[in-house]
Amino acid sequence: MDKLLEVKNMHVSFDTYGGEVQAVRGVNFSLNKGETLAIVGESGSGKSVTTKALMKLIPMPPGRIKEGEILFEGRDLAKLSEKEMQKIRGKEISMIFQDPMTSLNPTMKVGNQIAEGLIKHQKLSKSAAKSRVIELLELVGIPDPENRMKQYPHQFSGGMRQRVVVAIALACNPKLLIADEPTTALDVTIQAQILELMKDIQKKTDSGTIFITHDLGVVANVADRVAVMYAGRIVEIGTVDDIFYNPKHPYTWGLLGSMPSLDAEVSELYAIPGSPPDLLNPPKGDAFAPRNEYAMQIDREQEPPLFKVSETHYAATWLLHEHAPDIDPPEAIKKRMAAMASSDSRKGERV
Amino acid sequence: MGRYITQRLVYMVITMFLIATFTFFLMKFLPGTPLSSADRLSEEQQAIVLAKYGLDEPIPVQYFNYMVNLLQGDMGVSFQFDNREVTTIILDRIGPSLQLGFQAMIIGTILGMLLGLISAIYHNGVLDYGSTFTAVLGQSIPSFVFAGILQYFVGVKLGWFPVALWGTWQHTVLPTIALAIFPLAIAARFMRTEMLEVMGSDYITTARAKGVNKFGVVFKHGVRNALIPLITVLGPLAIGLMTGTLVIENIFAVPGIGEQFVKSINTNDYPIIMGTTLFFAVFFILIVLVIDLLYGVIDPRIRLAEGE
Repeated sequence: MDKLLEVKNMHVSFDTYGGEVQAVRGVNFSLNKGETLAIVGESGSGKSVTTKALMKLIPMPPGRIKEGEILFEGRDLAKLSEKEMQKIRGKEISMIFQDPMTSLNPTMKVGNQIAEGLIKHQKLSKSAAKSRVIELLELVGIPDPENRMKQYPHQFSGGMRQRVVVAIALACNPKLLIADEPTTALDVTIQAQILELMKDIQKKTDSGTIFITHDLGVVANVADRVAVMYAGRIVEIGTVDDIFYNPKHPYTWGLLGSMPSLDAEVSELYAIPGSPPDLLNPPKGDAFAPRNEYAMQIDREQEPPLFKVSETHYAATWLLHEHAPDIDPPEAIKKRMAAMASSDSRKGERV
Repeated sequence: MGRYITQRLVYMVITMFLIATFTFFLMKFLPGTPLSSADRLSEEQQAIVLAKYGLDEPIPVQYFNYMVNLLQGDMGVSFQFDNREVTTIILDRIGPSLQLGFQAMIIGTILGMLLGLISAIYHNGVLDYGSTFTAVLGQSIPSFVFAGILQYFVGVKLGWFPVALWGTWQHTVLPTIALAIFPLAIAARFMRTEMLEVMGSDYITTARAKGVNKFGVVFKHGVRNALIPLITVLGPLAIGLMTGTLVIENIFAVPGIGEQFVKSINTNDYPIIMGTTLFFAVFFILIVLVIDLLYGVIDPRIRLAEGE
């Protein structure tokens, strides 16, 4: 498999009046061509900052990439100038944003917004760009593209706007697509449509995708691999099966437990107590320790490294250390996992 | 579109009627008569003059007569200027006022917008502080004070431009600057705030994510969206300029309509007061109409539906 992207020990900080906010504290992951990696985590865990930093879209200053490498096809994006980044943005890497109501320019025709990248990166003529725009609008399922491209965003519904946002991102056939909670602002039926659309497109274009979400249902639907982020770090990373059927990190247990289920056996919805730490002064030791009922003495003193569970599966928790006591996930979560496994095997999708 | 403008014009006529009525009666409350300073005339002579201009009739009759004449396009004759027609006087006087107003408006808003834009782009930098300081000064110094300062330093001390009167383009420089400073300050502060807000919005990130460079982000995506709220203040600004000319024309002895207006109020020259007021009113209403139409040009969301 070809490695498209490799992020090594990336740190991103924001310099504020109160001090340095360490939003991302040493993130490592890689992505292959045609693969979808989902990054999950609660608000403020650093998932958006991580991906915005990949494209250097965070405001700099106050933000900065403190250290680390972002190797995209072997080139280190962290070292590129703003001018060089402009050649990569929209052409090699593009982004689908969260809120279609605000991410389109209200005073510019939709067709022009899609064509902008084409004209800039592919040096297309006006008419060539126009036919490509029509093609893209058809690809994302907008009917009557010839007329729709002459309209303004306010003449589109939310779902249709998100299709336009997708079309903008796809315009130059990027090798890497970053989707920052692309379905969060949409209602459920539209969510499903947009997810189907994105899966479809990925099959056709074979681009690598990073999918940020806090909806685990979406993860199971679209991702090949999952990275769970907490307090600016990846605490567990593995294939979808690893994360859903064999989670090792107590935080992942909590996330899975807080996912609503239609199963009658699991009636209680779990909530992780407390709130994420203040990244202005990140706590010593494991950042999750104060909320972790399985925390041990060492969790409060030393940060856990990523322990290898299998070739594909890593988790940063001292529970995986050889001297740690054997602790099973809580009963409620085990039950839930069993329920999921059985419902999946009934459908014959997995196992 | 045509229908919309027709509708607005009908409203305009109604507004004009109301303004004419109010002004007429307010004016009659002014102390004195047009003959207050004409002590040399005897009682009989005064009565003859008053009768000649129809000022001896009861006020409602005077009002009725005036409105009938107005409908026929006749605004009467001036009392103080050898019976010259009001229309001619206004037409004679309008040139300098319009020139000053437009120059000040265009220079003020364009420079102000540029200043605000620079502020926003170099947010919290030296250029930002400099232009914000200028804007605060421009907004807080009254135009007549500023006019005096200009006259003294630029006119008298430096001798770069004539201190007063009218004639060449050099004569327009100081009054234009004095008039322009207020719209400049307002436009700069507005533009800065709006631009900062726009640059922080999601669609700017979208544009950057497309690989658009800084210039394109600011001018293609930013400015147009920042202009929408700015248009809202252009109307009041234009009207402020009109009242500003009243003062500025008097300070710089510009033979404009504002200077004329003040003079005629002092001498109870009723037809001129009425004529000038109505002229200002028409002008204001047209400006407001133009601004409403401008909205549609800049913001597609409030463009009128086709066929309406």
